[in-house]
Parts: sequence; C-alpha cells; structure tokens
Amino acid sequence: MTPRERVWAAVRLEPYDRAPVIPIIGQFAARQAGMASLDRDSNRMSAVEALRKNFDDMGGYDGKIVAGVTWPISSWRANAPRGRRVLPGQDGVPDNFSVQYDEQVTMTVEDYDTIISKGWNAFCEEYFPRVSGLSLEQIEEYNRGLLDIYLEDAAYWKARGIEVIAGALVVSCEMTLSLARTFPQFTLDLHRMPDRVQAALEAMVPDFIENVLRDTKASGVPWVHISLERGSGAYYNLKTYERFFFPQLKKIVDAVTAKGVACWLHMDTDWTLNLPYLRELPRNMCVCDFDSITDIFKAKEILGGHMCIMGDVSPSLLSLGTVDEVNAYCNRLIDVVGRDGGFIMSSGCEVPLDAKFENVKAMIDSVKNRPYPVSA
Amino acid sequence: MSEIPTALAELNEQEVARLVRERLDAGDDPMAILNDCRRGMDIVGERYKAGDYFLSELIVSGEIFKDSMKLIEPHLKTDANASATRVVLGTVKGDIHNIGKDIVAVLLKGAGFEVHDLGIDVKPATFVDKLKETGAPILGMSGLLTPSFDSMKETIEAVKEAGLRDKVKIVIGGGVVTELVLRHTGADAFTDDGLEGVEICRRFVQEVK
Repeated sequence: MTPRERVWAAVRLEPYDRAPVIPIIGQFAARQAGMASLDRDSNRMSAVEALRKNFDDMGGYDGKIVAGVTWPISSWRANAPRGRRVLPGQDGVPDNFSVQYDEQVTMTVEDYDTIISKGWNAFCEEYFPRVSGLSLEQIEEYNRGLLDIYLEDAAYWKARGIEVIAGALVVSCEMTLSLARTFPQFTLDLHRMPDRVQAALEAMVPDFIENVLRDTKASGVPWVHISLERGSGAYYNLKTYERFFFPQLKKIVDAVTAKGVACWLHMDTDWTLNLPYLRELPRNMCVCDFDSITDIFKAKEILGGHMCIMGDVSPSLLSLGTVDEVNAYCNRLIDVVGRDGGFIMSSGCEVPLDAKFENVKAMIDSVKNRPYPVSA
Repeated sequence: MSEIPTALAELNEQEVARLVRERLDAGDDPMAILNDCRRGMDIVGERYKAGDYFLSELIVSGEIFKDSMKLIEPHLKTDANASATRVVLGTVKGDIHNIGKDIVAVLLKGAGFEVHDLGIDVKPATFVDKLKETGAPILGMSGLLTPSFDSMKETIEAVKEAGLRDKVKIVIGGGVVTELVLRHTGADAFTDDGLEGVEICRRFVQEVK
C-alpha cells in the first residue's frame, strides 16, 4: 500500500498492511537541524527544508500534519489571536523553549453581540486589525505568503505519495472564544451570561463551515484540522458540553463531511467523559487524535468500529523515556488500540522539541516492525 | 450554619457578596466570615472530588472567593494568614503558562494557605530567595512544556545548594507532568490536578509538623 492508501484505509476502517504513523513534528525538526525554532516569519524555507530532512532522517512516515510551516489560507479567521507571541530567546525565555503565547483578553463582552449580529467573518474584519495593528490588506498579504509555501510543499509531499492531513484549520468555536477572552474569563462569561455566549457560539458556525469548504477547495487537501481542547470534560461538565459546545462541533463536522472533507479532531486534554458523544459524528470520516491525557484504551472501547483513533505517545515519554519504554508503550497501542485497524500511531500532540531522536524513531518504526492484530 | 458556605458552593456570586456585606455591616467577626467562605470552598472541593464539579466550577468559586476577600480584608484587625502555612509558588524558568498555576494559587488561599506567587518564568535563584525570605516549608512549581522539566530540576538543585532541601517539601504540576518527570526532577510529589495539589500541600503540612 502507498502511505496515502494506508492513511485512508485507517480513516475508513478498512484493512491495511500495517497501521500508518503520522507524528506531529514541527519544532522538533528545527531543533534537529540546529535551528532555534520554526519561525514562520523569518526563516520559512529553512523550516520547510528542516521538516523535509527530518522526514528522511526518520526513515519516512505516512502523513504530514500540514504542508509548509503553518496552516493554509484563511487561518487568520480560524484562529483567534492568543495575545503576545513569545519566541525562544525573547524576553528572557531560554533558547531551548518553543514558541509560547502570553494569553491576554483581546475580545470584549460587547464583541459577543457583534458576532451574534454580523457573524464571525464580518467580525474578524474589524477584530483582527484592531488586535494586530495591521490592516486587512497586510493580513491578507501575509497570509498569501504562507499559502505560497503551503501549496509548494503540499505538491512536494503529494509527489512523494505522502498524505497531507490538513487542508484547512478550524479552532473549535468555544476554544476560539476562550483564547480571545482567556480561559478564566470565558468560563466566567459562561456562568454570568450563558444565553449571550450560546448565541455567539451558534452564530460562528455558518462562517466556520464556509471557511473550511473554501480552504480545502483552494488547498486541494480534503482534510480539516479541528483543534479541540478547552471544551473537554477536563474543564466543563457534560451539561455545559451538551448545551454550548457539542452542537456546534456536530454541525461543522456533519456539514463538511457531507462534502467529502475528512475531520482530524485534535483533542488535547482529557476527553474520556465526552467520548460517547463522538459516536454521533459521521462514521468513517473522522480521526480522533489524543494527546496522552485521554484514556485512549477506553476510546477504543467506545469509538472502535466507528471512527479512526490516533495518538498518543506522551511528550514526557518521548523526552525522558528510553527506547525500550517507548517500544513497550507503542506495542501496547498497536495490540490494543490497533486491533482490527482504524488506528494511526502518533505523538501525543506535538513531538516536543527536546524529544530524543531515538525515541521518536522508535515510535515511527514500531508500526513498521509489528503486525496489527485482527480478530478471528 | 451560615448561608455563605452554601451560597458559595452553589456559585451564587451575587448572594455571597450580599451576605458578606450584610454580615460586615452587622459587625460580625470578619475572620468568622472569611472562615465561612473557606467552608464554601471546601464544599466545592468535595463536589469536585465526587465528580459533580469540574475545573470551571473551581474557577468560578475561586473568583467568588477572591471578591469576598476584597470585601473582608479591610475589616480584618489581624493578618488573616497569621498562622497559615506558607507556600512559594511559580511557573518555572522559561515557561510563561499561568492558568494552572493561578488556579492552584486561589485554591490554596481558599484552603487557608499563605501563598507567595512569584508568577511566570521564575528563575531558580528567585525561588530560593523567596523560600529564604518567607521560611515557607512548601514549594510548588508549575510547567506545561517539556523543557520545563529541566528548569524544575535546576530549581531543586538550587534549593539543595542553599541548604534548604530538608526543610522544604516540593510539589510539581502541569498537564504533562508524570512519574517519569518526578523521578527526573527529584521533587517529592507531582500532580496534573489543581485540587489534588492542595491535598498534597495539606499532606506536606502533616509531614513537616
């Protein structure tokens, strides 16, 4: 099977020759290449070259989480500003740290009303210039520069038969607002003005769907990365999830999968409590990607046979563990979560920049060396 | 029983503020009012442990507690923390994530600890200086990124070099902190849960007595 065929077999829960492996590699490749960080602004081509070299140094794998160095096309509308961006070596932060965000309130309570009355995209045209200090033209020009690299790199991976699994980006409605208001403030908003927040969340959905369909068409990559984190049972009770968060996710997933776009659900933090809801999403078109905090073995019990499961070799294990420990955990993933297919081996969220090379390679090699079990 | 613990446990912001003001105006002992707020926080903690409350309820209750403290503190004749156990807290060198650390700070205050929150990106020497200055028997360090593990380790080395290690219990916390990280750093305990962090500090208090 080609890597692309293998990835799609996993998504469609069909038999494959082995489980695919798609590590989430970004800053790690930069560090391996001796760069301080993958800075999307100052060293774009060096970053792309570092990622390509790292792919080969690792012996190759089946999919790239994104082409180029960042998300394509309208990502500025799909990702609320997270406050101040702090690069390694900046403001006293040591060089060995990755890019971080000093989360700040960038959206007012009144902005909820603008979203409700105008929708998300129209709000962004006023909001992003206000927060960034850039004009819309400057933002579009910046984004076009990123898109050029994305398209060139996507063509490179396509020519090598490697699946790129993000042609568009959506940060979930609740996480977008949580980033813009900060997590504590958004939580207080939900408590103090629930109807207003709910109306804003609902008003965001049509534009999010439109953005995904437009971006996947333009990128030629029928995948959307949906970044989920702050709606999980680690943060909110299920009553809140049912009322505010899950309905918006379901509307987006239903709409885009109906148009043939697969959904990569990137589920950081603990989603164990929320797993049963995910069975309401379309079968064979979604990948649930866990970061090592959700109980992935419970996920197999609940979601196995309904959607593909991806993950979840922990950052701590990749940084501090031994090759034997990585092998032991990966083998357990292959044997239990990988039983009967529908599994993609991956790092739990991004491979940390200080991960040991041999540990990451052991994770990648694990699926190449071990057959996956099939029930009789 | 006072109505304040119940109102706080039910996350009724306006009712707690009304009751606190009413009792202050009536001349009630402000320390007794503060202790009622702490009892409310204890109920929130019990509900969290039972799985009825989540992180969001800890945040809302913490906000109510902070607002109540603002009303009560000007009326206190003595330091509310006069007999409290001191905890030095901070996010370690290089890491600027503050959400988890801030939640733990509020929960510790609600549990009656005197918290010296050094903020984010705290250098080892700064932790050591504050431990010396306060005589705190507990150090809490937070970090979300894997390079933070080395910052935690470095800080613990600095605590050792300062001759404080046998006087200070150390807990580390963060989303990806595990047993492996505990072993790597040499801390006494680890957690990825704010309320468990408070329980660990309570256990430390018993151990250092």
